[in-house]
Amino acid sequence: MINQDFGRQTTSFHALKRHGAKIWRVLHTDPPLLVGILLLCGFGLFVLYSASDGDEVMVRRQTMMMVVGLVVMFLVAQFNVHFYRRWAPSMYAAGLGLLVLVLLVGEVVNGAKSWIDLPGLPRFQPSEIMKFVVPMLLAWYLASRPLPPRFKHLFWSALMIALPVGLIVLQNDTGTAIMVFMSGVFVILLAGIRWRIVITGLIAGLLASPAWFVFLAQAHQKNRILTFFDPSRDPTGAGYNIIQSQIAIGSGGVYGKGYGNGAQSHLDFIPESNTDFILAVLAEEFGLLGVLLLVCLYLFVLVRGFYIAYAAKDMFSRLLAGSITLTFFLYVFMNMAMVSGLVPVIGLPLPLISRGGTSVVTLFVGFGLLMSIQTHDRKRYS
Amino acid sequence: MSGKWQLKDHEAERQLFLRRLTIAAAIVMLLFAALIAKLVNLQIYQYEYLSARSDGNRLHSQYAPPARGLIFDSEGALLADNQPIFNLTVIREQVQDMDATLEFLASLISLTDDDVEQFRNRLQRNRVPFSSVTLRYVLTDEEKSKIAVNSHLLAGIAIEPQFVRSYPLGALTAHSIGYVSEVNRRELDSLSEEQRENYGGTNHIGKTGVERTYEQLLHGTVGYEIVEKNNRGQVMRRLDRTDPVAGKNLSLHMNARLQIAAEQALGEFRGAIVAIDPATGGILAMVSKPGFDPNLFVTGISSKDYSELVNDVVNTPLFDRSINPYPPGSTVKPFIGMAGLQHELVDYEFAIQDPGYFRLPGVSYRWGDYTLRTAIGGGHGHTDLKKAIYQSCDTFFYDLGHRMGIDTMHGFLSQFGFGDNFTLDISYARTGVLPSRDWKMESRGEPWYPGDTVNSSIGQGYMWATPLQLATATAIMANKGQVVQPRMLKAVDGVPFEPVTDNPRQDISVSDPDYWRYIHESMTMVVHRPYSDVFRDYGTAFEAIAMADREMPYKMAGKSGTAQVVGISQEILSSEDIEVSDLNKDHGLFVSFAPSMHSQIDPQIAVAVFVENGEHGSSVAGPIAKAVIDTYLLDILELDFAELDRQAEAELLAADRMVAQSND
Repeated sequence: MINQDFGRQTTSFHALKRHGAKIWRVLHTDPPLLVGILLLCGFGLFVLYSASDGDEVMVRRQTMMMVVGLVVMFLVAQFNVHFYRRWAPSMYAAGLGLLVLVLLVGEVVNGAKSWIDLPGLPRFQPSEIMKFVVPMLLAWYLASRPLPPRFKHLFWSALMIALPVGLIVLQNDTGTAIMVFMSGVFVILLAGIRWRIVITGLIAGLLASPAWFVFLAQAHQKNRILTFFDPSRDPTGAGYNIIQSQIAIGSGGVYGKGYGNGAQSHLDFIPESNTDFILAVLAEEFGLLGVLLLVCLYLFVLVRGFYIAYAAKDMFSRLLAGSITLTFFLYVFMNMAMVSGLVPVIGLPLPLISRGGTSVVTLFVGFGLLMSIQTHDRKRYS
Repeated sequence: MSGKWQLKDHEAERQLFLRRLTIAAAIVMLLFAALIAKLVNLQIYQYEYLSARSDGNRLHSQYAPPARGLIFDSEGALLADNQPIFNLTVIREQVQDMDATLEFLASLISLTDDDVEQFRNRLQRNRVPFSSVTLRYVLTDEEKSKIAVNSHLLAGIAIEPQFVRSYPLGALTAHSIGYVSEVNRRELDSLSEEQRENYGGTNHIGKTGVERTYEQLLHGTVGYEIVEKNNRGQVMRRLDRTDPVAGKNLSLHMNARLQIAAEQALGEFRGAIVAIDPATGGILAMVSKPGFDPNLFVTGISSKDYSELVNDVVNTPLFDRSINPYPPGSTVKPFIGMAGLQHELVDYEFAIQDPGYFRLPGVSYRWGDYTLRTAIGGGHGHTDLKKAIYQSCDTFFYDLGHRMGIDTMHGFLSQFGFGDNFTLDISYARTGVLPSRDWKMESRGEPWYPGDTVNSSIGQGYMWATPLQLATATAIMANKGQVVQPRMLKAVDGVPFEPVTDNPRQDISVSDPDYWRYIHESMTMVVHRPYSDVFRDYGTAFEAIAMADREMPYKMAGKSGTAQVVGISQEILSSEDIEVSDLNKDHGLFVSFAPSMHSQIDPQIAVAVFVENGEHGSSVAGPIAKAVIDTYLLDILELDFAELDRQAEAELLAADRMVAQSND
């Protein structure tokens, strides 16, 4: 069942060799995307080494994580994307089950009850799975409906999003909930939802936000938002992170202070300098040029993602590829904008640069799906 | 499920998707552009400002306090040293919960309420953020290790080494050298802007004695260093440093061995001793007993220790007896006698028939002779000035003083430093009282009566002098009128110190220099005129000094005095611990210089001894003065009087031969 093309491809090996690029199709790997990812990983490890003050153990562990991620990506890419389409509802149901299970028997880490330790499996966060299962399910659902989607389809779609998001909110993991929510919303947007609905939704959101702020927002969330508008409100408390990270970025200037010379990070003025605020370290040591290089690498990966979505042969693949790419962008942008003070502080890592475990693997699952979309022939599958 | 089976227009849907994808890509580019604009703003337009903020984060200028100058005695023995101690310090900004931390510390090491209170006071003071404040001074090794083991629980708590003052002689120099202690708010306010900067890294300032007088010399100049600190205030690197300039080392005229000897000579008595080198005015010893341990004050005296010192109303250890005035009693007689000679009120032949009392003309009141209170009655009989001095005849001086008048007495005695502060560097010494008409009118609002003069002429009544003044006057007497001004400081960093004074005192000139010899002789007879068959014709201190030590290799001049206790506070009288009768006893005084009447050598030392409630001047204070002089002349100067006497004899012989030859 794995790669039914395999026999055909290997028998015509010589023919493939003549078209050298085709070997990547055999491996179900997209070379431009792989190159972009590897460059980002390399750059990330390089920055992390400095941000962690030369902590080789940490860098080695992160490297291991990336290798695991690449292997996962490779494995995911071996399956035809329509295999995932078929299994999307089942995976969604299983994911929901795990989310409920987490609420019952999960472990609390950093205030969020999101980890689960099932026998025979490494400890993981079921909410991470939802980051790709939710867009998969929506793509499965909407791809087979006439587009732009009708209102009742939108209703069911909204429910599909709301269920897992609600469960994740109950885990007290707002950051992940937002990402899962957005990954689903991207599918709906790409599926051609009418603009008047989008605009109505935006206006409703804007109108509701003060109510949210007053009645629902937790103290730390209110704090972050107030701090965003006036960082000097509490310079040693809530505003400290953002003030110090802006100082770090700004003092880097155009050319940076040089690798390993970031005073702000090495003297511990930047909190979370190897996770959420690693961009500040990068910007301080490599300057504006370093940040632009990073942006270019991300753009390279994003453009390839868009191309894969553009070139995809069917609507499911298009919607899934588009959503994965946009979700990846959202990660990148939210982190960079937060660290540079463009948006309020949200605890999101910088993809492939920040130190992190499960979320890295999730990213690679997404890349694996993109590669699967790019390298499998739909007709052969069906 | 009807929708699922509706006809789909795949191409239209693809076009719709691609339009949406294009819009999404455009939004992505827009957002990236916004991000880049923000970064350009931070990294280019705000670069200067944020760069400075970054430096401000990490770079700190901190003071490097100078080492305080050491204080040595005249022979190079340390009187004030700098010793390393280890202090427990707190950086308030880094302590999460001060109360909990203090509680935890108290469970590890001894931390009294007093320590905590003093610490909170220190916190109140103006200070640089992230600077450390001392919580407890002088940690023991055991306490240091307990803190070190628990350091992970003690954010903001550190052990810092510090050099602090230590006074090797302890209580012996508590008053004269004084002590340093923590700078207080008032002292800081009294400093000029520049000086305050200089005290930026300094915790201690001289509070009393030499430490206070020469604070400027001892302190030195503060240094600076630029350090890089991390977020927790730890110093990571030193980037620049301006070294502090250590304070100057001071050498005093004081001799530690003499200081020790003087303190021991006082024995169990309360009192004071001041010894002066007549040649320079240098203070060789200055003791006030009982003293206190000045080392206690350096690291912050506990309120218990302090109240003990303050509440000891009998011993008053904080009170410096050497510079506080008492009635000088008969010790002023040689000076009044000198005034009589100079003003030709007496001469060598003048004598009175002493009936044992004195009466002002037209007044029935009899001034009795104090020195005869216990004697067999009657007076001294035929008494000239010399006898009046060595027998301490009050009647003679009542008469002399009365004839002299207060104006002459005041004028003459003021040249010896009575009623004045002659010192060059003991500004805080009291001036006592040398009474005059003006003084009485000013302070009492009363005119001067002849009876006041009579009292003053034997050093009672309104006359008050400090032991330091008595020693000074005695030194001037020993110098035959050449005024010396008492001084502590001998040399600064080995360079002899010549103080500038805007008020130099004039030497005392008398019409006949032989008057000095005459008074010297009279004072020498106080100690050395032996008992004889003649009634009351011995020196008052003969028995206690010259008779007690018949081997005495030199002669000393002296004069005893007894001062009445003027008033005892109600507080002391109500105390049950002491026998009040002891506190009513007279104070014993003795002034002296030596060697006297020596042809080969000038007087080397002038001493004033004050024994509180000592009862007798000659028998109690006299031997104490002799012990001090013995130590100085024989042990410290190691004068060989046998050799000096031989030289004197040889010279005398040679002179005789000259005379004989010239006669030939």
